[in-house]
Amino acid sequence: MKYHTSSFGDFRCAHCHHIVSAAHLLSGVNNRNHCPYCLWSYHLDLFAAGDRLSACKGQMKPIGLTMKKSRNKYRLESGGELMLVHECVECGTLSINRIAADDDSESIMEVFNESLLFSYKIRLRCEGHGVFMLEAEETESVYVQLYGPGVEVPAFA
Amino acid sequence: MNINDEDDTGVVFRKSLGHYTVHADGREIDCVLSSLIHKQLIYPTADPTSLRPVVQAVHEIEHVDPVAIGDRVRFVGAGQSRGMITEVLPRLSKLSRPATVPGQRVFEQVIASNADLVLPVFSATSPTPKWGLLDRYLVSAEAVELPALIVITKLDLAEKNPQLDADLEPYRRIGYPIQMVSSITGEGIDEFKQSLHGRMSVLVGKSGVGKTSLLNAIQPGLGLRVKEVSRGELGKGRHTTTYLEMFDLDFGGSIVDTPGMREFGLWNIPADELAYLFPEMANHVGQCKFGMSCRHDREPGCAIRRAVMDGGISPHRYKSYMNLREEL
Repeated sequence: MKYHTSSFGDFRCAHCHHIVSAAHLLSGVNNRNHCPYCLWSYHLDLFAAGDRLSACKGQMKPIGLTMKKSRNKYRLESGGELMLVHECVECGTLSINRIAADDDSESIMEVFNESLLFSYKIRLRCEGHGVFMLEAEETESVYVQLYGPGVEVPAFA
Repeated sequence: MNINDEDDTGVVFRKSLGHYTVHADGREIDCVLSSLIHKQLIYPTADPTSLRPVVQAVHEIEHVDPVAIGDRVRFVGAGQSRGMITEVLPRLSKLSRPATVPGQRVFEQVIASNADLVLPVFSATSPTPKWGLLDRYLVSAEAVELPALIVITKLDLAEKNPQLDADLEPYRRIGYPIQMVSSITGEGIDEFKQSLHGRMSVLVGKSGVGKTSLLNAIQPGLGLRVKEVSRGELGKGRHTTTYLEMFDLDFGGSIVDTPGMREFGLWNIPADELAYLFPEMANHVGQCKFGMSCRHDREPGCAIRRAVMDGGISPHRYKSYMNLREEL
Protein backbone atom coordinates (compact mmCIF):
# COMPACT_ATOMS: atom_id res chain seq x y z
CA MET A 1 0.00 0.00 0.00
CA LYS A 2 1.74 3.15 -1.12
CA TYR A 3 1.24 6.71 -0.03
CA HIS A 4 4.41 8.26 -1.38
CA THR A 5 6.21 7.56 -4.62
CA SER A 6 9.81 8.42 -5.29
CA SER A 7 11.16 9.39 -8.67
CA PHE A 8 11.87 5.78 -9.54
CA GLY A 9 8.42 4.51 -8.61
CA ASP A 10 9.52 2.96 -5.33
CA PHE A 11 7.33 3.72 -2.36
CA ARG A 12 7.00 3.29 1.37
CA CYS A 13 4.03 1.22 2.44
CA ALA A 14 1.62 3.35 4.46
CA HIS A 15 0.51 0.29 6.44
CA CYS A 16 3.74 -1.49 7.45
CA HIS A 17 6.17 1.30 6.44
CA HIS A 18 8.49 -0.99 4.48
CA ILE A 19 10.18 0.54 1.47
CA VAL A 20 8.91 -1.30 -1.58
CA SER A 21 10.71 -1.53 -4.90
CA ALA A 22 8.65 -1.02 -8.03
CA ALA A 23 11.15 -2.98 -10.14
CA HIS A 24 9.50 -5.37 -12.55
CA LEU A 25 12.43 -7.75 -12.11
CA LEU A 26 11.46 -8.34 -8.47
CA SER A 27 7.70 -8.35 -8.63
CA GLY A 28 7.14 -9.96 -12.03
CA VAL A 29 4.21 -7.58 -12.58
CA ASN A 30 4.08 -4.25 -14.39
CA ASN A 31 2.08 -2.43 -11.74
CA ARG A 32 2.26 -3.31 -8.11
CA ASN A 33 -1.15 -3.57 -6.56
CA HIS A 34 -0.15 -4.17 -2.95
CA CYS A 35 2.75 -4.21 -0.53
CA PRO A 36 4.66 -7.50 -0.82
CA TYR A 37 5.28 -7.58 2.94
CA CYS A 38 1.90 -6.86 4.57
CA LEU A 39 -0.19 -7.35 1.38
CA TRP A 40 -2.31 -4.25 2.09
CA SER A 41 -3.44 -2.13 -0.84
CA TYR A 42 -5.31 1.06 -1.70
CA HIS A 43 -8.75 1.41 -3.24
CA LEU A 44 -7.85 3.26 -6.46
CA ASP A 45 -9.73 1.51 -9.27
CA LEU A 46 -13.44 1.84 -9.93
CA PHE A 47 -14.68 0.18 -13.12
CA ALA A 48 -11.63 -1.75 -14.31
CA ALA A 49 -8.18 -2.66 -13.06
CA GLY A 50 -5.82 0.28 -13.50
CA ASP A 51 -8.47 2.89 -14.35
CA ARG A 52 -7.61 4.87 -11.18
CA LEU A 53 -11.11 6.35 -11.09
CA SER A 54 -12.03 5.56 -7.50
CA ALA A 55 -12.33 8.52 -5.17
CA CYS A 56 -12.57 6.28 -2.10
CA LYS A 57 -8.81 5.80 -1.68
CA GLY A 58 -9.42 3.78 1.46
CA GLN A 59 -7.01 1.11 2.64
CA MET A 60 -7.70 -2.36 1.31
CA LYS A 61 -7.14 -5.25 3.66
CA PRO A 62 -6.17 -8.70 2.35
CA ILE A 63 -8.98 -10.93 3.55
CA GLY A 64 -8.52 -14.20 1.74
CA LEU A 65 -7.50 -16.17 -1.30
CA THR A 66 -9.32 -17.31 -4.36
CA MET A 67 -8.41 -19.11 -7.54
CA LYS A 68 -8.77 -17.48 -10.91
CA LYS A 69 -9.87 -20.19 -13.29
CA SER A 70 -10.87 -18.10 -16.24
CA ARG A 71 -12.04 -14.56 -16.95
CA ASN A 72 -14.43 -13.35 -14.22
CA LYS A 73 -14.62 -16.77 -12.62
CA TYR A 74 -12.87 -17.33 -9.32
CA ARG A 75 -13.11 -20.84 -8.08
CA LEU A 76 -10.85 -23.75 -7.39
CA GLU A 77 -11.97 -26.70 -9.44
CA SER A 78 -9.26 -27.82 -11.80
CA GLY A 79 -6.48 -25.49 -10.71
CA GLY A 80 -5.96 -21.88 -11.75
CA GLU A 81 -4.03 -18.86 -10.56
CA LEU A 82 -3.93 -18.07 -6.87
CA MET A 83 -5.31 -14.58 -6.24
CA LEU A 84 -5.53 -12.27 -3.25
CA VAL A 85 -8.91 -10.93 -2.20
CA HIS A 86 -8.88 -7.37 -0.84
CA GLU A 87 -11.67 -5.56 0.94
CA CYS A 88 -11.79 -1.78 1.28
CA VAL A 89 -11.99 -0.83 4.95
CA GLU A 90 -13.81 2.41 4.02
CA CYS A 91 -16.50 1.32 1.58
CA GLY A 92 -16.37 -2.49 1.68
CA THR A 93 -15.58 -2.94 -2.01
CA LEU A 94 -14.02 -6.30 -2.85
CA SER A 95 -11.30 -6.75 -5.44
CA ILE A 96 -9.20 -9.65 -6.66
CA ASN A 97 -5.55 -9.16 -7.41
CA ARG A 98 -2.64 -11.13 -8.78
CA ILE A 99 0.03 -12.27 -6.37
CA ALA A 100 3.44 -10.83 -7.23
CA ALA A 101 6.57 -12.97 -7.41
CA ASP A 102 8.05 -11.39 -4.30
CA ASP A 103 4.92 -11.35 -2.14
CA ASP A 104 5.71 -12.80 1.25
CA SER A 105 4.46 -16.38 1.27
CA GLU A 106 4.19 -16.46 5.06
CA SER A 107 1.91 -13.42 4.99
CA ILE A 108 -0.21 -15.02 2.29
CA MET A 109 -0.59 -18.14 4.41
CA GLU A 110 -1.55 -15.98 7.39
CA VAL A 111 -4.26 -14.31 5.32
CA PHE A 112 -5.48 -17.71 4.16
CA ASN A 113 -5.58 -19.15 7.69
CA GLU A 114 -7.45 -16.12 9.00
CA SER A 115 -9.94 -16.38 6.16
CA LEU A 116 -10.78 -19.91 7.24
CA LEU A 117 -12.22 -18.46 10.42
CA PHE A 118 -14.70 -16.27 8.53
CA SER A 119 -18.33 -16.79 9.30
CA TYR A 120 -20.70 -18.24 6.75
CA LYS A 121 -22.23 -14.75 6.42
CA ILE A 122 -18.99 -13.19 5.21
CA ARG A 123 -18.37 -15.98 2.73
CA LEU A 124 -21.92 -15.59 1.44
CA ARG A 125 -21.35 -11.86 0.95
CA CYS A 126 -18.17 -12.55 -1.03
CA GLU A 127 -19.99 -15.13 -3.15
CA GLY A 128 -22.64 -12.50 -3.83
CA HIS A 129 -19.85 -10.51 -5.52
CA GLY A 130 -18.72 -13.56 -7.47
CA VAL A 131 -15.72 -14.22 -5.21
CA PHE A 132 -15.39 -17.75 -3.91
CA MET A 133 -12.89 -17.84 -1.05
CA LEU A 134 -10.68 -20.88 -0.73
CA GLU A 135 -11.59 -23.23 2.09
CA ALA A 136 -9.68 -25.58 4.41
CA GLU A 137 -9.79 -28.53 2.01
CA GLU A 138 -7.90 -26.42 -0.54
CA THR A 139 -4.91 -25.89 1.76
CA GLU A 140 -2.72 -28.28 -0.21
CA SER A 141 -3.42 -26.43 -3.45
CA VAL A 142 -2.43 -23.17 -1.79
CA TYR A 143 0.86 -24.69 -0.60
CA VAL A 144 1.57 -26.07 -4.06
CA GLN A 145 0.90 -22.68 -5.64
CA LEU A 146 3.12 -20.87 -3.14
CA TYR A 147 6.00 -23.27 -2.65
CA GLY A 148 5.84 -25.51 -5.73
CA PRO A 149 4.79 -29.12 -6.31
CA GLY A 150 6.15 -31.74 -3.94
CA VAL A 151 6.14 -29.39 -0.94
CA GLU A 152 5.43 -31.00 2.39
CA VAL A 153 2.20 -29.63 3.80
CA PRO A 154 2.51 -29.18 7.58
CA ALA A 155 0.36 -31.56 9.61
CA PHE A 156 -1.41 -28.75 11.47
CA ALA A 157 -2.51 -27.12 8.21
CA MET B 1 0.96 57.31 -44.19
CA ASN B 2 4.14 58.95 -42.94
CA ILE B 3 6.29 57.58 -40.17
CA ASN B 4 5.96 60.87 -38.39
CA ASP B 5 2.18 60.58 -38.26
CA GLU B 6 0.56 60.12 -34.90
CA ASP B 7 0.31 56.56 -33.65
CA ASP B 8 -2.64 54.58 -34.92
CA THR B 9 -4.48 51.71 -33.25
CA GLY B 10 -5.67 48.43 -34.70
CA VAL B 11 -6.30 44.76 -33.94
CA VAL B 12 -3.81 41.99 -34.65
CA PHE B 13 -5.45 39.46 -36.97
CA ARG B 14 -2.57 37.26 -38.05
CA LYS B 15 0.98 36.59 -37.02
CA SER B 16 3.70 34.53 -38.54
CA LEU B 17 7.49 34.61 -38.15
CA GLY B 18 7.81 38.05 -36.62
CA HIS B 19 5.23 39.67 -38.89
CA TYR B 20 1.89 40.85 -37.60
CA THR B 21 -1.09 41.78 -39.72
CA VAL B 22 -3.02 44.59 -38.10
CA HIS B 23 -6.51 45.64 -39.17
CA ALA B 24 -7.17 49.36 -38.68
CA ASP B 25 -10.00 51.38 -40.21
CA GLY B 26 -10.50 48.84 -43.00
CA ARG B 27 -6.79 48.78 -43.84
CA GLU B 28 -4.48 45.80 -43.50
CA ILE B 29 -1.05 46.80 -42.19
CA ASP B 30 1.94 44.44 -42.17
CA CYS B 31 3.78 45.29 -38.96
CA VAL B 32 6.98 44.37 -37.23
CA LEU B 33 7.65 44.84 -33.54
CA SER B 34 9.44 47.73 -31.95
CA SER B 35 12.32 46.47 -29.84
CA LEU B 36 10.93 48.56 -26.98
CA ILE B 37 8.09 46.07 -26.55
CA HIS B 38 10.61 43.42 -25.52
CA LYS B 39 12.08 45.67 -22.87
CA GLN B 40 11.04 47.28 -19.65
CA LEU B 41 12.79 50.57 -18.93
CA ILE B 42 13.62 51.07 -15.28
CA TYR B 43 13.58 54.68 -14.04
CA PRO B 44 14.87 55.94 -10.70
CA THR B 45 12.22 56.04 -8.01
CA ALA B 46 14.03 58.45 -5.67
CA ASP B 47 12.67 61.50 -7.40
CA PRO B 48 9.50 60.66 -9.30
CA THR B 49 8.79 64.33 -9.92
CA SER B 50 11.97 64.79 -11.93
CA LEU B 51 11.19 66.34 -15.30
CA ARG B 52 13.92 64.45 -17.11
CA PRO B 53 14.06 60.92 -15.72
CA VAL B 54 17.07 58.96 -16.85
CA VAL B 55 16.79 55.27 -17.68
CA GLN B 56 18.75 53.34 -15.08
CA ALA B 57 18.37 49.83 -16.41
CA VAL B 58 16.70 47.88 -19.16
CA HIS B 59 15.10 44.55 -18.36
CA GLU B 60 14.21 42.07 -21.05
CA ILE B 61 10.57 41.06 -20.72
CA GLU B 62 10.35 37.28 -20.56
CA HIS B 63 7.70 36.04 -22.89
CA VAL B 64 7.52 34.02 -26.08
CA ASP B 65 5.74 36.72 -28.04
CA PRO B 66 4.53 39.99 -26.53
CA VAL B 67 1.79 40.33 -29.11
CA ALA B 68 -1.12 37.91 -29.37
CA ILE B 69 -3.93 37.48 -31.86
CA GLY B 70 -6.78 39.76 -30.88
CA ASP B 71 -4.53 42.32 -29.22
CA ARG B 72 -5.38 45.95 -29.68
CA VAL B 73 -2.08 47.59 -30.54
CA ARG B 74 -0.71 51.05 -31.17
CA PHE B 75 1.50 51.26 -34.25
CA VAL B 76 3.32 53.79 -36.38
CA GLY B 77 2.78 53.55 -40.11
CA ALA B 78 5.78 53.38 -42.42
CA GLY B 79 3.92 53.75 -45.68
CA GLN B 80 2.96 51.13 -48.27
CA SER B 81 0.79 49.26 -45.77
CA ARG B 82 3.72 48.68 -43.47
CA GLY B 83 4.19 49.68 -39.87
CA MET B 84 5.76 49.04 -36.51
CA ILE B 85 3.88 48.01 -33.36
CA THR B 86 4.94 50.23 -30.48
CA GLU B 87 2.53 49.31 -27.74
CA VAL B 88 0.10 46.57 -26.76
CA LEU B 89 -3.03 48.11 -25.23
CA PRO B 90 -4.43 46.56 -22.03
CA ARG B 91 -6.12 43.22 -22.60
CA LEU B 92 -9.68 42.46 -21.51
CA SER B 93 -8.94 38.73 -21.40
CA LYS B 94 -6.26 36.31 -22.46
CA LEU B 95 -6.09 32.59 -23.00
CA SER B 96 -2.60 31.33 -22.19
CA ARG B 97 -0.54 28.21 -21.90
CA PRO B 98 3.08 27.58 -20.93
CA ALA B 99 5.35 27.62 -23.97
CA THR B 100 7.13 24.33 -24.45
CA VAL B 101 10.65 25.31 -25.39
CA PRO B 102 12.98 22.44 -24.40
CA GLY B 103 15.89 23.43 -22.21
CA GLN B 104 14.59 26.90 -21.48
CA ARG B 105 12.63 28.50 -18.72
CA VAL B 106 8.88 28.28 -19.08
CA PHE B 107 7.31 31.39 -20.54
CA GLU B 108 3.71 32.41 -21.03
CA GLN B 109 2.31 31.95 -24.50
CA VAL B 110 -0.86 33.94 -25.04
CA ILE B 111 -2.96 32.08 -27.59
CA ALA B 112 -5.52 34.83 -28.04
CA SER B 113 -6.47 37.96 -26.20
CA ASN B 114 -9.67 39.95 -25.81
CA ALA B 115 -11.75 36.85 -26.62
CA ASP B 116 -15.35 36.43 -25.45
CA LEU B 117 -15.77 32.69 -25.96
CA VAL B 118 -13.56 29.60 -25.94
CA LEU B 119 -14.50 26.79 -28.29
CA PRO B 120 -12.81 23.50 -27.33
CA VAL B 121 -13.23 21.36 -30.45
CA PHE B 122 -13.29 17.55 -30.31
CA SER B 123 -14.25 15.08 -32.97
CA ALA B 124 -16.85 12.41 -32.29
CA THR B 125 -14.27 9.94 -33.53
CA SER B 126 -10.95 9.94 -35.40
CA PRO B 127 -9.01 11.19 -33.56
CA THR B 128 -10.54 9.64 -30.47
CA PRO B 129 -11.56 12.40 -28.05
CA LYS B 130 -9.37 12.76 -24.98
CA TRP B 131 -11.63 14.20 -22.33
CA GLY B 132 -8.70 15.00 -20.05
CA LEU B 133 -7.62 17.54 -22.67
CA LEU B 134 -11.14 19.01 -22.70
CA ASP B 135 -10.89 19.45 -18.93
CA ARG B 136 -7.63 21.34 -19.44
CA TYR B 137 -9.26 23.71 -21.91
CA LEU B 138 -12.25 24.22 -19.62
CA VAL B 139 -10.06 24.90 -16.59
CA SER B 140 -8.00 27.40 -18.59
CA ALA B 141 -11.18 29.15 -19.69
CA GLU B 142 -12.59 29.16 -16.13
CA ALA B 143 -9.30 30.61 -14.85
CA VAL B 144 -9.73 33.70 -17.00
CA GLU B 145 -13.53 33.73 -16.56
CA LEU B 146 -14.25 33.06 -20.20
CA PRO B 147 -17.36 31.08 -21.12
CA ALA B 148 -16.79 27.88 -23.09
CA LEU B 149 -18.86 26.13 -25.73
CA ILE B 150 -17.85 22.50 -26.31
CA VAL B 151 -17.95 21.69 -30.02
CA ILE B 152 -18.15 18.08 -31.18
CA THR B 153 -17.34 17.75 -34.87
CA LYS B 154 -17.76 14.86 -37.30
CA LEU B 155 -21.30 14.23 -36.10
CA ASP B 156 -21.79 12.15 -39.26
CA LEU B 157 -19.30 9.65 -37.79
CA ALA B 158 -20.81 9.68 -34.27
CA GLU B 159 -22.24 6.18 -34.63
CA LYS B 160 -18.68 4.87 -34.59
CA ASN B 161 -18.36 6.08 -30.99
CA PRO B 162 -21.30 4.65 -28.99
CA GLN B 163 -19.69 5.93 -25.79
CA LEU B 164 -19.91 9.58 -26.87
CA ASP B 165 -23.20 10.53 -25.20
CA ALA B 166 -22.21 8.91 -21.92
CA ASP B 167 -18.84 10.67 -22.01
CA LEU B 168 -20.49 14.06 -22.57
CA GLU B 169 -23.14 13.60 -19.90
CA PRO B 170 -20.99 14.93 -17.00
CA TYR B 171 -20.38 18.16 -18.96
CA ARG B 172 -24.09 18.57 -19.72
CA ARG B 173 -24.82 18.05 -16.02
CA ILE B 174 -22.34 20.74 -15.03
CA GLY B 175 -24.02 23.12 -17.44
CA TYR B 176 -21.44 23.47 -20.21
CA PRO B 177 -23.21 24.06 -23.53
CA ILE B 178 -22.38 21.44 -26.16
CA GLN B 179 -22.78 21.94 -29.90
CA MET B 180 -22.69 18.87 -32.13
CA VAL B 181 -21.87 19.70 -35.74
CA SER B 182 -20.97 18.04 -39.00
CA SER B 183 -19.02 20.01 -41.55
CA ILE B 184 -19.96 17.40 -44.18
CA THR B 185 -23.75 17.27 -43.72
CA GLY B 186 -24.13 20.79 -42.29
CA GLU B 187 -25.99 19.48 -39.27
CA GLY B 188 -25.80 21.87 -36.30
CA ILE B 189 -23.95 24.54 -38.28
CA ASP B 190 -26.78 27.13 -38.14
CA GLU B 191 -27.08 26.80 -34.36
CA PHE B 192 -23.32 27.06 -34.09
CA LYS B 193 -23.31 30.27 -36.13
CA GLN B 194 -25.88 31.77 -33.79
CA SER B 195 -23.59 31.03 -30.84
CA LEU B 196 -20.73 32.89 -32.53
CA HIS B 197 -22.77 35.94 -33.54
CA GLY B 198 -21.22 39.19 -32.33
CA ARG B 199 -18.49 37.52 -30.27
CA MET B 200 -14.80 36.96 -30.61
CA SER B 201 -14.31 33.22 -30.30
CA VAL B 202 -11.20 31.05 -30.10
CA LEU B 203 -11.06 27.53 -31.52
CA VAL B 204 -8.78 25.19 -29.58
CA GLY B 205 -8.27 21.51 -30.16
CA LYS B 206 -5.95 18.78 -31.28
CA SER B 207 -4.79 18.37 -34.84
CA GLY B 208 -7.28 16.63 -37.08
CA VAL B 209 -10.45 17.38 -35.12
CA GLY B 210 -11.72 19.55 -37.97
CA LYS B 211 -11.29 23.13 -36.79
CA THR B 212 -10.50 24.49 -40.23
CA SER B 213 -13.22 22.39 -41.87
CA LEU B 214 -15.62 23.86 -39.36
CA LEU B 215 -14.54 27.36 -40.39
CA ASN B 216 -15.19 26.48 -44.02
CA ALA B 217 -18.61 25.14 -43.07
CA ILE B 218 -19.71 28.30 -41.26
CA GLN B 219 -18.33 30.59 -43.94
CA PRO B 220 -17.09 29.01 -47.18
CA GLY B 221 -13.52 29.95 -48.04
CA LEU B 222 -12.69 31.11 -44.52
CA GLY B 223 -10.03 28.54 -43.77
CA LEU B 224 -8.80 27.17 -47.03
CA ARG B 225 -6.30 24.70 -45.71
CA VAL B 226 -7.90 21.33 -45.01
CA LYS B 227 -6.27 17.91 -44.99
CA GLU B 228 -7.44 14.42 -44.24
CA VAL B 229 -6.50 12.89 -40.91
CA SER B 230 -3.22 11.02 -41.27
CA ARG B 231 -3.59 7.26 -41.44
CA GLY B 232 -0.45 6.43 -39.50
CA GLU B 233 0.16 6.89 -35.80
CA LEU B 234 -3.36 6.03 -34.64
CA GLY B 235 -5.05 8.81 -36.60
CA LYS B 236 -3.59 11.53 -34.43
CA GLY B 237 -4.01 14.09 -37.18
CA ARG B 238 -1.41 16.26 -38.81
CA HIS B 239 -1.05 19.99 -38.60
CA THR B 240 -3.09 21.82 -41.25
CA THR B 241 -3.03 25.24 -39.68
CA THR B 242 0.50 26.22 -38.73
CA TYR B 243 -0.07 29.79 -37.61
CA LEU B 244 -2.61 31.74 -35.65
CA GLU B 245 -5.17 33.75 -37.54
CA MET B 246 -8.35 35.61 -36.76
CA PHE B 247 -11.19 35.87 -39.27
CA ASP B 248 -14.09 38.28 -39.47
CA LEU B 249 -17.41 36.53 -39.78
CA ASP B 250 -19.96 37.79 -42.34
CA PHE B 251 -22.79 37.29 -39.88
CA GLY B 252 -21.04 39.31 -37.15
CA GLY B 253 -18.18 38.51 -34.82
CA SER B 254 -14.76 37.04 -35.36
CA ILE B 255 -13.07 33.72 -34.78
CA VAL B 256 -9.47 32.70 -34.11
CA ASP B 257 -8.18 29.52 -35.74
CA THR B 258 -5.27 28.00 -33.86
CA PRO B 259 -2.79 25.31 -34.89
CA GLY B 260 -3.59 21.92 -33.38
CA MET B 261 -2.34 21.65 -29.82
CA ARG B 262 -1.47 18.18 -28.59
CA GLU B 263 -0.31 19.59 -25.29
CA PHE B 264 -1.99 22.25 -23.27
CA GLY B 265 -0.51 23.06 -19.89
CA LEU B 266 -2.08 25.31 -17.31
CA TRP B 267 -0.60 28.74 -16.88
CA ASN B 268 -0.46 30.64 -13.62
CA ILE B 269 -3.05 28.61 -11.73
CA PRO B 270 -2.23 28.03 -8.03
CA ALA B 271 -2.77 24.41 -6.97
CA ASP B 272 -5.00 25.53 -4.07
CA GLU B 273 -7.40 27.24 -6.45
CA LEU B 274 -7.72 24.44 -8.96
CA ALA B 275 -10.87 22.95 -7.42
CA TYR B 276 -12.66 26.30 -7.86
CA LEU B 277 -12.12 25.95 -11.60
CA PHE B 278 -14.19 22.77 -11.69
CA PRO B 279 -17.68 24.28 -11.29
CA GLU B 280 -19.16 21.10 -9.83
CA MET B 281 -16.44 21.01 -7.15
CA ALA B 282 -16.43 24.68 -6.25
CA ASN B 283 -19.41 24.34 -3.86
CA HIS B 284 -17.64 21.61 -1.91
CA VAL B 285 -14.40 23.52 -1.36
CA GLY B 286 -14.06 24.38 2.33
CA GLN B 287 -16.53 21.69 3.41
CA CYS B 288 -13.80 19.11 4.02
CA LYS B 289 -12.65 17.98 7.47
CA PHE B 290 -9.38 19.82 6.95
CA GLY B 291 -11.12 22.86 5.49
CA MET B 292 -9.15 24.85 2.97
CA SER B 293 -6.01 22.79 3.64
CA CYS B 294 -7.55 19.67 2.07
CA ARG B 295 -5.90 18.63 -1.18
CA HIS B 296 -8.86 16.34 -1.95
CA ASP B 297 -6.51 13.42 -2.36
CA ARG B 298 -6.33 10.97 0.55
CA GLU B 299 -7.34 13.20 3.41
CA PRO B 300 -10.11 11.77 5.59
CA GLY B 301 -13.44 13.55 5.51
CA CYS B 302 -12.92 15.11 2.08
CA ALA B 303 -16.19 16.58 0.80
CA ILE B 304 -15.15 16.39 -2.85
CA ARG B 305 -14.22 12.71 -2.68
CA ARG B 306 -17.50 12.08 -0.89
CA ALA B 307 -19.38 13.87 -3.67
CA VAL B 308 -17.60 11.71 -6.26
CA MET B 309 -18.62 8.55 -4.43
CA ASP B 310 -22.21 9.80 -4.10
CA GLY B 311 -22.38 10.42 -7.85
CA GLY B 312 -22.49 14.22 -7.69
CA ILE B 313 -19.11 14.56 -9.40
CA SER B 314 -17.94 12.44 -12.32
CA PRO B 315 -15.01 10.15 -11.41
CA HIS B 316 -13.42 11.08 -14.74
CA ARG B 317 -13.56 14.77 -13.87
CA TYR B 318 -12.12 14.01 -10.43
CA LYS B 319 -9.29 12.06 -12.07
CA SER B 320 -8.65 15.05 -14.35
CA TYR B 321 -8.51 17.26 -11.27
CA MET B 322 -5.93 14.98 -9.67
CA ASN B 323 -3.85 14.81 -12.85
CA LEU B 324 -3.85 18.59 -13.22
CA ARG B 325 -3.11 19.10 -9.54
CA GLU B 326 -0.02 16.91 -9.85
CA GLU B 327 1.29 19.23 -12.56
CA LEU B 328 0.90 22.42 -10.57
